[in-house]
Amino acid sequence: MLGTQLKYDLIMFSRELFYLVFTVFVPPATYIFMGQLFGEQTYAGNLSYAQTYTPSFILLITFTVIFFAFGFDQVTQRTTGVEKRISLSPVSKNTLLLSSIIRSTIITSFGYGFILIIGMLMYDLEFHLLSFLTSYGFFILLNAVLLTIASAIYSFFQNMNSALVFSIVIFQVVIFTGGFAMPISMMPKFIQIIADFNPMYHMNNLFIAVWNGQLTFDNNVLLAIGYIGALVIVALFILRIQNRQKIG
Amino acid sequence: MKIIEVSNLKKSYGTNHVLQGVNFQAQSGEVIGVIGKNGAGKSTFLEILMTIKQYDAGTVIVLDENIESLPMNRLELVRKQISVVLQPTQFYKTLKVEELLKLFKAYYKSSIDIKKIIIDFKLEPHRKKYFDKLSGGWKQIVSLAIAFLSEPKLLILDEPTTGLDPHMRNMLWSYITDYNKRTGGTVILTTHNMDEIELYCDKVMLINNGVNEVFDTTEGILASGYKSINEFYLAKVSI
Repeated sequence: MLGTQLKYDLIMFSRELFYLVFTVFVPPATYIFMGQLFGEQTYAGNLSYAQTYTPSFILLITFTVIFFAFGFDQVTQRTTGVEKRISLSPVSKNTLLLSSIIRSTIITSFGYGFILIIGMLMYDLEFHLLSFLTSYGFFILLNAVLLTIASAIYSFFQNMNSALVFSIVIFQVVIFTGGFAMPISMMPKFIQIIADFNPMYHMNNLFIAVWNGQLTFDNNVLLAIGYIGALVIVALFILRIQNRQKIG
Repeated sequence: MKIIEVSNLKKSYGTNHVLQGVNFQAQSGEVIGVIGKNGAGKSTFLEILMTIKQYDAGTVIVLDENIESLPMNRLELVRKQISVVLQPTQFYKTLKVEELLKLFKAYYKSSIDIKKIIIDFKLEPHRKKYFDKLSGGWKQIVSLAIAFLSEPKLLILDEPTTGLDPHMRNMLWSYITDYNKRTGGTVILTTHNMDEIELYCDKVMLINNGVNEVFDTTEGILASGYKSINEFYLAKVSI
């Protein structure tokens, strides 16, 4: 059953132009475009453009896939009545959830590979197996964090239009305050303050550090991990309450 | 055999007291029509029987299970024995008709041949169309085809013939009556078409002012002096 559900979940994703544009095309195109503009610069930690922005854009694809194709999709199915109809079918919620998680992981892994190959071909990114495996493991962990947070956020939406507006606004906020457009240190003070509250900014920094083997457990890193962990706990709590309200 | 037993069922939406003490029973093999004006609470009542809507008070026993505070795993077991057609009908919009049938065949672990279902429901010209691109009537037909992929003990249909032309309506009813005779399954449906009630239903429940004002056999209602169920409805329900 899981295999059949996953097959159709992937088919449905591939047929949603809106999801494809925002998840598979926009981030790699932006990665290439930014590389043409700032490819020669050196960034924090004495890192090159590829060393800094390859993990960043992998994370950005992960964010867009999970927020649009997982979170927003949940709202679409809830508000159009599909969720209600499926809930009356003899398929367990766990199968549907697991299929959805595997689908997101497959698509984000595709994004991971896509950005990695572009980085290697265009920006001389080096490939080391051990660091690849460590980064991929951390990337899966970030997937789980984002899936939990997105699921909790979108569980509040009962209207597709408001969820769409939220998704587009949050995409812009994440781009500018997550360190994906340019280093946060070069941004105005108020953006830097917002960035401190943006979990994507912290995940981005952590992922860059893991990717380049520079992760040290100093105060900033521990604070970032603590902040993300707290958000995950809150998200799980919200999901538990929302799930209880839906039953029966 | 009793399939459903409902006593003193109450459900409100804020200050709108939709159901104010409904009593209802359904035996195995019965076809029961639930009627009432728009907003009377017919769909709410059906959704409670489907186990997807909470209620405020009363007792609802479906397939020998009291559905109030039933754990999720046992609720899923009850749902496995129910097939439904909802109003409005919605499925994954970017799947084609044939793909939807295959997916639900997998859900129901059904042995029914998809090709036979496609032929029976005259879906061949629409088999490669996206569900979202179908007209309302054809969406309804696909929904029915999916409901018949399993052989449930209980079939709940919320306005199944709305938007269907007479041929489609006949086809749908021939399926329902055939299913009912062949499997002894119980059918509960809402409709605004009183001719259908008169032709096909064993019993009628009229929901009016939040209660089951009448719950009787179709024959019993007609024997009480009404020329038709339509006349009965018009006499009992004011605008």
